[in-house]
Amino acid sequence: MSAASDIARLREGRSSARAAVARLGQYIRRNRRYYAGWTVITLGYVAGFLAVPILLGRTIEATEAGADAREVTRMALLFAAVGVVAGTLRFFSRVLVFNAAREIEYELRNDLFAHLQRLPQSFYFRWRTGDLMSRCVNDLNSVRLLLGPGLLSVVQTPILYVGALAVMFSMDWQLALLVLIPYPLFILIARSFGKGMHRWSIEVQEGLGDLSNQLQEAISGIAVVKSYGMENVTARRFARANEALLHRHLRLTRVMGAMPSITGLLPSLGMLIVLGMAGYKIPAGEMTKGEFFTFAMLIVQLTFPTFIMGWVFALVQRGGAAMQRIDEVLATEPSIADRDDMVELDELRGEIEFRDLTFAYPGAEREPALRGVSLRVPAGSTLGIVGPVGSGKTTLASVIPRLYEVPDGQVFIDGIDVNRISLQNLRAGIAMVPQDAFLFSTSLAENVAFGLPEVDSARVAQAVERAQLTQDLAELPHGLATVVGERGVMLSGGQRQRAALARALALSPSILILDDTLSSVDAATEEAIQRALAEVFGGRTVVVISHRISSVRDCDQVAVLEDGEISELGSPKELLLRGGFYARLARQQALEEELEESVA
Amino acid sequence: MSAPDGFQEEAALGKAYDARLMRRLLPYIGPYKWLVLLSLAIAPPLFAVQLAPAWIVKQGLDRVFGGGSEAAEVPGPDWLLGIFEAPAGLPPLAWLLILYAVTIVTMAALRFLNMYVMAWTGQLAMRDLRRDVFDHIQKLHLGFFDRYPVGRLVTRATNDVENLAEMFSSGIVQAVIDVLFMAVIAAALLALNPELALITFAVVPVLAVVAVIFRMKVREAFRETRVWLARINAQIQETITGMKVVQLFTRELRNLRDFEAMNAENRDAWQRSNRYEAGLFSAVEVAQNLTFAVILGYGFRIASAGTFYVFIEWMRLFFMPLRDLSAKYSVMQSSMASAERIFQLLDTEPAVQDRGDAPAVTAPRRGEVEFDGVWFAYQGEDWILRDVSFRVAPGEKVALVGHTGAGKTSIIKLLARLYEPQRGQIRIDGVDLRNMPQAEARRRVAMVLQDVFLFSGTIAENIGLGRDDLTPADLELAARSVEAHGFIERLPDGYRSELREQGSNLSAGQRQLLSFARAVAHGADVLILDEATSSIDTETEAAIQRGIHALMEGKTAIAIAHRLSTIQDVDRIYVLHKGRVVEDGHHEGLLESRGVYFRLYQLQYRAQEGGEGSARTA
Repeated sequence: MSAASDIARLREGRSSARAAVARLGQYIRRNRRYYAGWTVITLGYVAGFLAVPILLGRTIEATEAGADAREVTRMALLFAAVGVVAGTLRFFSRVLVFNAAREIEYELRNDLFAHLQRLPQSFYFRWRTGDLMSRCVNDLNSVRLLLGPGLLSVVQTPILYVGALAVMFSMDWQLALLVLIPYPLFILIARSFGKGMHRWSIEVQEGLGDLSNQLQEAISGIAVVKSYGMENVTARRFARANEALLHRHLRLTRVMGAMPSITGLLPSLGMLIVLGMAGYKIPAGEMTKGEFFTFAMLIVQLTFPTFIMGWVFALVQRGGAAMQRIDEVLATEPSIADRDDMVELDELRGEIEFRDLTFAYPGAEREPALRGVSLRVPAGSTLGIVGPVGSGKTTLASVIPRLYEVPDGQVFIDGIDVNRISLQNLRAGIAMVPQDAFLFSTSLAENVAFGLPEVDSARVAQAVERAQLTQDLAELPHGLATVVGERGVMLSGGQRQRAALARALALSPSILILDDTLSSVDAATEEAIQRALAEVFGGRTVVVISHRISSVRDCDQVAVLEDGEISELGSPKELLLRGGFYARLARQQALEEELEESVA
Repeated sequence: MSAPDGFQEEAALGKAYDARLMRRLLPYIGPYKWLVLLSLAIAPPLFAVQLAPAWIVKQGLDRVFGGGSEAAEVPGPDWLLGIFEAPAGLPPLAWLLILYAVTIVTMAALRFLNMYVMAWTGQLAMRDLRRDVFDHIQKLHLGFFDRYPVGRLVTRATNDVENLAEMFSSGIVQAVIDVLFMAVIAAALLALNPELALITFAVVPVLAVVAVIFRMKVREAFRETRVWLARINAQIQETITGMKVVQLFTRELRNLRDFEAMNAENRDAWQRSNRYEAGLFSAVEVAQNLTFAVILGYGFRIASAGTFYVFIEWMRLFFMPLRDLSAKYSVMQSSMASAERIFQLLDTEPAVQDRGDAPAVTAPRRGEVEFDGVWFAYQGEDWILRDVSFRVAPGEKVALVGHTGAGKTSIIKLLARLYEPQRGQIRIDGVDLRNMPQAEARRRVAMVLQDVFLFSGTIAENIGLGRDDLTPADLELAARSVEAHGFIERLPDGYRSELREQGSNLSAGQRQLLSFARAVAHGADVLILDEATSSIDTETEAAIQRGIHALMEGKTAIAIAHRLSTIQDVDRIYVLHKGRVVEDGHHEGLLESRGVYFRLYQLQYRAQEGGEGSARTA
């Protein structure tokens, strides 16, 4: 397999089983100190494992031959000593392999988390949260099981077999050969069950993911569910997913349960052969009862490891499928990342330029969201963006901090292509307040200090003050220490928006982007905020998206976006004279004001 | 950025068996008790076929192969011993081989059956439990979700329930069967050779002490792992949902550092518990080998080779469940912890509930809304509403105005009965909302909430919200009335276009138009609008105003108005200030009285739209 094709596949975010195994191999190699120790101990354990039947057989032989009590006691003591050593080695064997599995789980989880943080917004458009969660939780667990009990058996059982066969062959090669007869069947069994197991374990995982999604959606939308009394609808959807999961679980159980039962038959068949042969050989004097014991005990001791091979097989299958699903995430190359031709900037000056920017969201044949947008925002100036719903305003603002992939040569900051500015560099210089005002379930103070190296109470207080949130603190049960709840649900819409604003104001960026940030904030508060902004951000670049003329009226220039294209561009005064969208908007809003005045 | 510890559910008890929880799980098995009985019925034949192989070998060693010491007569019923006598005309060896073959095939079949029946029971019970968890979650009032992250709720219904399923398939019933089997083995060995049997079992009490120590040790480690894992998963979930903010604020490195710390704690706790588990495992193995040594060193004087074989084989079977004890213990313990968390969730009383004893609501649907001395706080005594009273007559349209935080949104939430007031009454059509079944209340009141939530599914499904009685024509009509039809038609599949998660393929304004269409399609008598027009541009808004105007025709409407046009449209304005209704009346009248409304108007409505006006005030 060529490296190039490998990389090509990784780029696509699809993972072959081989790529998944290769990735897992890297983690195993990294933890080889565990596995080296484990191998040594396993060999010791296998020696003990083989010594037990041999010593048993010898003792029986001696007894049958009429050995005296001292001789037998001596052998029993030896047996006891071997037994204690074997049991002790087993302790270390298990601790090592299970600890290694936890270590790798730890590393994989860190890597997944770090990788998710590197993936761009376009990735999160395609992947559902529930699906990603299921990979981070359920699939990771399956991989851990593969590495723990799975690997333990997969490695140990063949060694046990080799050792046991060596002992058998040295005792009676003909009988040993006969005992082997049933084992080729194992391959057949494994093959026929393997497929079903693989399929149904994937289906179960997907069923779980589906169920999570249903649940997550119903909970996230609980206010709508309740106020429209649609509990039955969501319950029906959930029941469908639930029933499907039950069905898949049962299918998997059937396959997984049948396999160990059938593989368990193999050693039993071997035992049947030994029993039959002993029936001829012992009376004929070709075999002692002691030898029979050793043979029988070896086979019996192999029964359990063989019996669980079916289960282990399932673990491996499921773990492999899970690793593939994890690899799918890890193999998705972040399409927004730093490149080799980067330009190091100390600090952004804040000039923004779009040169004939055309942008379409990834996906089959989607209409471009932006078409031929050319616009220059000099450092320290302000830009207002207005336009109808869905005209591309948010998209335009989002490409500045590279939330989406833009082609080279279309977006420039300080005259440098954004794709050539390191993300750290770029985003440290930009503070953006996205439309949806997402808050984390930490305290309000921690949320405001989110972009700071640590919670700096003076800066937090200042930011809160500037975002006009100070008065609201009194209403909150613990002021700044109030835990705002998942997505900030403890706060009203306006409070949430102002908290998100404060989070940006706590920084001192060169470029501030406000994406319709104050839509739920009343006009008086907005005005106070604007005054604070003008004070603090005078001389810095500010991009404001709004539906309110009052928000953009004082901007140096205003761009009107319609259907992804700039239809008007100029100073607010010029636009008023041009008689286009902006003028219409202003007139409409002015008319309303006139109306007000006339009423007053 | 760790998840809040608002709920102690994470630190669930570390018990492996909790009678209280077991009693609560029983009802889930109830409907399937015939399956449990079936698995119990399978147990005796399963015991028999597991004991039989060693006995057959003994027959061979002691009686058929010859050359050794003859076995002493074995006690037992004649019919049982008779099975092992070859029928006339068949060589004894052939008969033993036939018996052996039949035994192993039967064993494979019974083992499968046993496993499947138990797993089946477990899965059926778990399906029911998942359903109950889901239904219960949906019944909980909205305040609950403020404190309980979605990720954790999802874990309750998926991972926790999966954990329990494992207990059902390899736990409780299996444990009973194992104990029975061990008792049967002990009895059989005692019957076979009492002296040797007693010596053999000498090691068992020692093992019991080891198991108890193990139990205590492993409990603590387990409890820790649970707490950490829950936090880890909550953090992953939250980071994924808030990824845009994480990246914009370049928090990746610090997040990762915090995450790694939690993750390491989790790993360490697991590695501790690995040691205890392996300790128990190897203790059982050592005990087993010592037992064999005792059998060898002592037994040669009193037993035949065949009896040796039986002893060693059966003792191995005896130790098998003990060796699996650590695995079973982990299963039981994590199941109990999961059960604890699940029941804690199921025990959370929905703060808003239908009253069982409430008389059926017969009041005709008029569309009347009344607040009567309503006091409300989200928490404790932090009153958001203080003694709020007003009445909206059928067909009347009112606006609630007030400064941010005056309590407007809370009134809406109370009307939707997403919360309940601490004091006072809210009446719809004269009936106390608390006495009105929630389904009935929702038929009478339609909401347009501030946050538009869209479900995955088609546009049509998102307008109809599962109402079967709405035809495609009804949905289109609703969409047309709010002027959403235009953009819907432009979508690739029109009304059948699939929405992505949270409708991310629609703009905020389009999402809002959809939510209007929902309210229209719903056709209630009372329409409630919460800041519905706040994030819509003026053009779209004008379209919506027209639609809403048509919709409100003949209906009672309560609006949290941000726009002057809405305020002027309504019949009456209630002015809220710090949780109280301070003024009410018509726009002009209120302005003339120069009270709170006048100031609000100056602040809010005048400054909001008008450029020059606000500039002068500033």
